[in-house]
Amino acid sequence: MTMAGHDRSNLRKVRLYGVLIALLGLMMLPFYAMFSSTLKPESEIFAAPATLVPSDPSIQAYLQVWTQTDVLLWVGNSFIISVGTVVLTLLLAIPAAYSCARNDFVGKRTFLLSVLVVQMFAPVVLIVGLFDVITQMGLFNTYLAVIVPAAAFTLPFNVWMLYGYFKTIPVALEESARIDGASQLQILTKIVLPLTKPALVASITYTFLYAWNRLLFVLTFLTDSAKYNIPRGVFSMVGALQTDWRMMLTVSVIGIIPLLILFAFLEEYIVAGMTAGAVKE
Amino acid sequence: MSLAEEYTEASDNSHLERGVAYVQRNSRAYLLIAPAAVFLLAVVGYPIIETFRLSLYQSPADSNIETFVGLQHYVEIFDSDIFYRLLWQTGRWVVAGVAGKTLLGLLIAVHLKGDIRGRKFFRTAFLIPWGIPYAISAVVFRWIEHPQFGYLNAILLKLGIIEQGVGILGNPSIAWLGVVVADIWIGTPFMAIIFLAGLQSIPQELYEAAAIDGAEKWHQFRYITLPQLKSVVLIATLLSTIWTFVSFDVIWTMTGGGPISSTATLVIHIYQVGLQNGNLGRGAAYSVIGFLFLFVFAIIYLRIYTRGGDEL
Repeated sequence: MTMAGHDRSNLRKVRLYGVLIALLGLMMLPFYAMFSSTLKPESEIFAAPATLVPSDPSIQAYLQVWTQTDVLLWVGNSFIISVGTVVLTLLLAIPAAYSCARNDFVGKRTFLLSVLVVQMFAPVVLIVGLFDVITQMGLFNTYLAVIVPAAAFTLPFNVWMLYGYFKTIPVALEESARIDGASQLQILTKIVLPLTKPALVASITYTFLYAWNRLLFVLTFLTDSAKYNIPRGVFSMVGALQTDWRMMLTVSVIGIIPLLILFAFLEEYIVAGMTAGAVKE
Repeated sequence: MSLAEEYTEASDNSHLERGVAYVQRNSRAYLLIAPAAVFLLAVVGYPIIETFRLSLYQSPADSNIETFVGLQHYVEIFDSDIFYRLLWQTGRWVVAGVAGKTLLGLLIAVHLKGDIRGRKFFRTAFLIPWGIPYAISAVVFRWIEHPQFGYLNAILLKLGIIEQGVGILGNPSIAWLGVVVADIWIGTPFMAIIFLAGLQSIPQELYEAAAIDGAEKWHQFRYITLPQLKSVVLIATLLSTIWTFVSFDVIWTMTGGGPISSTATLVIHIYQVGLQNGNLGRGAAYSVIGFLFLFVFAIIYLRIYTRGGDEL
């Protein structure tokens, strides 16, 4: 490579990374604002104009947040709701997806397309009718009031994700297991599901995140503050007249830590899930 | 197809018998999809019907008295100025939001495409905003845009762009922009990742051939990348349009639809009328109008999705 060519390729690299880092900085700015604010003492957070760098950083807010807010309770509730939604969704989605992948029957196409349409029917436009259903089922103010609608709206993604994956598993594997005398259930749990692991992880991650993040269902179907999840808890801290910004931002940081851990480990699966959900291969 | 032909030839009686026999032969297949199908019918199908029914009634939430009023809600909605204001506010919210997410997502994806060092790190970092609760992103943006203590004002003051702090979210003429920014921030990662996946599926030979022909970077983007990416962009923007149209948490947390309803969209209004004010009938009528919009989007989506035809 000539010197000029080398320089140009270096220049291109500098420009590429420059743009990337600038874009990343832009996307990370809100996190910085959130995190740096939690390190300020009470007097500094209400300084106008804001100090961009905390002058005397301390972790005081993180020590106070446990006694002054219900953050642990909210994180716990978020876990209950997310895990409940994952379990319910998988119990419904796995048999349905498996059935569609292995059998050809009248109504299959209708079923799969209706499922796809459900994904279009966003919860908010259904909320008035849904309110009726939840009340009639006697679920109002129970965890199920949130789990049931969340499962309904994550089911489409799960059915399609798993359906697509089941189709790629050779039927021959199952047939030889059947000849060896394995039951239908054994074939599913011992052979098919272990092979489906990547799709299952993507499904579980998507469903878990969906249930963890949603405010609407909790806002509408839970009035008992002991059952609030993290988004609802944060929302409840927005005061009509005065908001304790310091505590609220600290709760927010704590509320997203489990998600950051999830992201660090499952990034590939999340990406696989996101792309599979929208773009067909 | 052959099955349908058999049906048409058969008499009514054997039609039924054949049907029963068919279901019995495939009983296991039907049994396995039954739980999911029944569940969706109960939790999504039934509320749809219930919403249609409710929209024809005067129905305050706190009593069990329902009065049939026919299409009165719809007539009143179409006669009201609020409805057209909501359409305009929803339209600008969707257009500005989707345009912002698409452009920023494309910009990120193009720069992540090449064989760069630390790609996994960048990809994960860019993804994070998408994964955290919308309500949390919303309060953080609310904090950034705080009229006295916000970071945005501090930066603008420092740069000398403004002389005194401005309250974006309290100002009816620009509040929606303050909310759109948060929405774009949340939605951009999805676009970036989808576009990145699309970009990586473009055959590298196309670029090599173009490079040999001496095509410039911009021309390569214009004549190779964009056409190859077309279907991905179509699907992603359509999905984004639907999600932006129905987005609730961000607006609700940042402004609650205010000030003086300037950030309210159709779905925010549904919530305010139907659940906050307890006018279930009117809220349901607005929901039905929302359905119609979604229905149009859904048809376009299904059209594009099933264009290949036989992947089902």
